[in-house]
Amino acid sequence: MEHIQLAVVGAGVAGTAAAIEAAKAGVNVVLIDENPLDMYMMGLDVPLFFGQRLMPTVQDKGAMMGRVVSANPDLAEAEEAGVDIRLGTYVWGAFRNMETSRVLDGPQLGLADENQSWTVKYDHLIVAAGGRDLGMGFAGWNFAGAMGANAAYSLMSRYQAFTGRSMVVLGSGNLGLHTAKLARERGVEVKAIVEVDGAVRGDAAVAAELEAAGVPIHTSHVIKEAAGSTDEVESVTVVAIDGDNNAVVGSEIEYEADTVCLAVGLVPTVELLNLLDCDVRFDHHRGGYAPVVDEWMRTSVENTYVCGDAAGYHDGMAANPEIARQQGRLAGVAAAEALGAIDSAAAHERRSELTLATASANGNEVDGVWKKWLAALMNVGGLDVYVCQCEEVTRGELLDVQPPRYLEWESDEMRARDLGTLAQDGPVNPDQVKRLTRAGMGHCQGRRCREQVAMLLADESDTPLTEVPIMSYRPPVRPLPLRIMWAHDETQQVRDDWVVWFKHSRDYMREMQEAD
Amino acid sequence: MKLDGAQVVIVGAGVTGLSAAWWLARNGVDTVVVEKGVIGAEASSRNGGDISHRAYEPPVVPLAAESLNLWPEMDDELGYPTEYSPGSIHVAMDEEEAVWMKQSNIDWGERFNLPLDWWDADKVKDAVPLIAPETTGAQFSPKDGHANPQRTVQAYAWGFLDNGGRLYQHTAVTGFRKEGDKVVAVETDKGEVEADIVVCAAGPQTGVLCEKAGAFVPVAPARVEIIITAPVESMWKGAVMGNGLYGRQTMRGNLAYGGGPHEWVDVENQTPMKPNSPVVRNLSRRLAELYPGASDVPVIRSWACVVEQTPDMLPIIDFLDSPDNFMVATASAHGFGLSPATGKVISDMVMHGETTVDMSGLTYGRFNEVTPDWRAKKDWDPGHINT
Repeated sequence: MEHIQLAVVGAGVAGTAAAIEAAKAGVNVVLIDENPLDMYMMGLDVPLFFGQRLMPTVQDKGAMMGRVVSANPDLAEAEEAGVDIRLGTYVWGAFRNMETSRVLDGPQLGLADENQSWTVKYDHLIVAAGGRDLGMGFAGWNFAGAMGANAAYSLMSRYQAFTGRSMVVLGSGNLGLHTAKLARERGVEVKAIVEVDGAVRGDAAVAAELEAAGVPIHTSHVIKEAAGSTDEVESVTVVAIDGDNNAVVGSEIEYEADTVCLAVGLVPTVELLNLLDCDVRFDHHRGGYAPVVDEWMRTSVENTYVCGDAAGYHDGMAANPEIARQQGRLAGVAAAEALGAIDSAAAHERRSELTLATASANGNEVDGVWKKWLAALMNVGGLDVYVCQCEEVTRGELLDVQPPRYLEWESDEMRARDLGTLAQDGPVNPDQVKRLTRAGMGHCQGRRCREQVAMLLADESDTPLTEVPIMSYRPPVRPLPLRIMWAHDETQQVRDDWVVWFKHSRDYMREMQEAD
Repeated sequence: MKLDGAQVVIVGAGVTGLSAAWWLARNGVDTVVVEKGVIGAEASSRNGGDISHRAYEPPVVPLAAESLNLWPEMDDELGYPTEYSPGSIHVAMDEEEAVWMKQSNIDWGERFNLPLDWWDADKVKDAVPLIAPETTGAQFSPKDGHANPQRTVQAYAWGFLDNGGRLYQHTAVTGFRKEGDKVVAVETDKGEVEADIVVCAAGPQTGVLCEKAGAFVPVAPARVEIIITAPVESMWKGAVMGNGLYGRQTMRGNLAYGGGPHEWVDVENQTPMKPNSPVVRNLSRRLAELYPGASDVPVIRSWACVVEQTPDMLPIIDFLDSPDNFMVATASAHGFGLSPATGKVISDMVMHGETTVDMSGLTYGRFNEVTPDWRAKKDWDPGHINT
């Protein structure tokens, strides 16, 4: 098995900076990134909410590889510094020994490409896996053309394979404003920006520039519906909201648009950190569940570091990539020091050069932004909107904790149960609710619904959002086909020693026969 | 600090404890269940969902037979869905397996009066279109079946509460207060719970907790793993096993299968970590071998759980000699399929001191000679695999 000294997962701004920093210090670094993604994965809305707005050219691996490389100029510097760069490689698992698992002879990553999977050992790990689009349900958000801001950014910039021609952007933070700006630069007509808040949240200069170019920004508005004739977004209706987040009757505006882009927020990608049992806690200021990290970008697990959006996201980061770059460099220094490539004096000196750019954080985004969006979307869209697209679970079904429709179950006992009675039995637990309702159990692995589910559960049961446990992540954290997960390198020994259960029924029968 | 006590206090809200609690409560017995975390957090909601006659383990056959009789009624009795579905086949992947299965049909059928049957390869392929073309047939057991563990454990809990039971979640047992040869109260981190009778159904923590009551109960925890795919077309409704895997197609269509190497572990008196291992790749290979037609379907999840095994890998359902009002109820990693009967038997033994089911092979006393170093002797120490 290959043994990697320092594995860096994610070749965005932060991960590439981390890899360069550590490589320059003399560490053997392997930088892994899943881009260019397989079209199959993008079709499942993994890892981002792509919303089926991709050109068939994404199937051309070679062309996409070139575009991914040229989209990140820092990769050339990384290559020069001796970083071993592996693109088109998924990281679907991370394993280490814990109390109830002692059999590994060191930590491992599970990797895969579009043909097969394999595992590698590593000494130290930097997770720079970025942020994921925050999902928020509205009528029609399951139509092709409803997508997330990070996915839109990726398709427009990294892949140059975005098929949308006209877009309504939801959210006026830096994330929304910069997405709108990029869309216009790429020839996409931005019909409007919608903001539930009473004022534009992001950079005033960018907002002014967009408005000057004729893009209306509707504050105190929310999306009412994305509609179309063939499960494709063709029009987007927005509506004004009052001080209680209720729709103002008769204030609807309908836009013709083929795309509606959710740019309300990003969520740190903590999948691998969660698998490794790094301490991950809910933080209103850092995009919900985010890793506990010290000023040197070290997590609670000794050989594991995190940087960039994965380390905690706030809207200031969308406007200033220098924050992620500096975090990356700090993580690189920490790993280089821990590996003995530089001494503590050198590490100290380098750190003193790296003063983190202070972010223009807009404060408490979860309480101030996410919750207001969800409240308005709930009031306007009601309980029949899907919260989980994969399993087609509505908000109402989630809150009633009812079994899936296909079971066709009816009983007085079941009807008497809901989230309220469940909360009387003990604190709400999203993993428990997910098993009963199936919200979060589908092929996107809960990426599009986790935060909504947690917020709805918290709201309905009067539980602080910080006390709703994280919905667990399990390997593979990418939905990989059986033929790829398939252990092609399985040894004959493993096959010979395989047992169905602790003891095979054949062994019992042999014993029975001997006893007879 | 004190919590309201009860006639019977059950330690552990797993499938065994909750089934017992439901049976007791519907029989009018004042019952409390104390659980350190949330219900069904370990193997009770993370298992293959298989319901089996267990003919290859004769001492447990009477209990399993009772369970097979009870399962078809459980949805209606509980008032909540378990997704119970009758029927099970074990697919033979080659002629050697077919020979063995046909022989066991005869042996087990005669010995335990089981209605086992043989399906030829065409019938298997007809019922299960995605199955491996090289299959040579299948052992068919009409009374076996499968259900959804997560839904079932919740159904027991809700049924228990509907019958007036009380459930204390997030309440960890720290010890037992004894007077003479009796436990008079269960001590928890939230206060003491007085009890006339205590049932310890603590799964992998059984050994640790019984020790606190002054009893040595030999159980060894182990980690078990399962993978789950995205839904595929719904096939035959019964359970389909084979190629070294146990598991089922869920009503939604997902394939959920486990098997393979099992690692012995150690647990403290808390909900243990349940990490998966790279074994998920070997499971994927076996599943694609069993269902080549599903090769392109993605694996979307995996689980691990911690189960406990007694030295002969069979349950202990018995009162201890001392303390004599203290019952041990470990299903030794058979808990789910047996649960309707286990709960009934526990309820009978608690209420009447006896049961109509032959439990003579599942006594505590059969381990009287076991010494504290038993795990090392069996090579079942933590970190060891498949021993």
